[in-house]
Amino acid sequence: MNEPQAEFLNESPDPGRWLDDHGDYLFKYAVFRLRDNNAAEDAIQETFLAALKAYHQFEGRGSERTWLVGILKHKIVDHFRRAVREAPIGEESDEGPNHQEFFERPDQWQGHWNPNYAPTDWHATPVELIERSDFWKVFNDCLSPLPQRTASAFTLREVDGLKSEEICEILSIKVNNLWVMLHRARLHLRNCLEVNWFKREE
Amino acid sequence: MALRLYDNLKHSLRFWLLRNLPACQQTVETISQSMERSLTLGERLKLRLHLWICVWCQWYLEHLQVIRETSPAHTDKATDLSTGPTLSNEARERIRRRLTNQN
Repeated sequence: MNEPQAEFLNESPDPGRWLDDHGDYLFKYAVFRLRDNNAAEDAIQETFLAALKAYHQFEGRGSERTWLVGILKHKIVDHFRRAVREAPIGEESDEGPNHQEFFERPDQWQGHWNPNYAPTDWHATPVELIERSDFWKVFNDCLSPLPQRTASAFTLREVDGLKSEEICEILSIKVNNLWVMLHRARLHLRNCLEVNWFKREE
Repeated sequence: MALRLYDNLKHSLRFWLLRNLPACQQTVETISQSMERSLTLGERLKLRLHLWICVWCQWYLEHLQVIRETSPAHTDKATDLSTGPTLSNEARERIRRRLTNQN
């Protein structure tokens, strides 16, 4: 029982095999968050270099992929911080569509839901939903029209589960700003999922 | 007769609330914020009352919760599926060369 592990421990790191086994996965992980092929390539190269240096800390404990993803996460956050420094707030003030049309009404109820955009009953079961690969395709497509910083805020908050303060620090924004971005992202994503997934299912 | 009176009262109350509470556009923003911070007592009260009379915003809240519950599974379930290019051969070779030089 102990022997194969002992053998594994003695192995020297094999970055070529890491690249073959996990390269595409890490690339997709990074592209979803960075939305830029070159930046994603840089991030995974930095990840492998850091992994080589830190290999003695890994020592075959746990899954190799999980370990590499853990390093990649830091590299992606580093990228966000650099991007913020290079393009400070103000230059990219676009927080995403505010979807005014959802609440435009010709009658006395201006500001309430326009029936064409009003939410419907989803009958959604999250545990089943996450197993549907076509649901994730729609999910990804729905996020893509959002501006980079708003999409990053949403992903860090809902996919990676970071706290507000951490996200504000990474993206160098005020918390009120973050709330507006998250609200815009949710407003957009909810409607897009409803139109392209839940209504299509009926 | 009593029943009709009750219905009329309920209708009037609903109408009055919809007129006097924040509209849906503002309510959905509050719903989103309720997932980020604790609302003040006043905000909570207005939100409760609004949700009591507005099924659309009830669903909106439910949908944000669905998004919150499903999104964390993206990493495990969707990363392999995401469309778009995979790592190009050129980049793969460049990274491979860089890594071998390190050894």
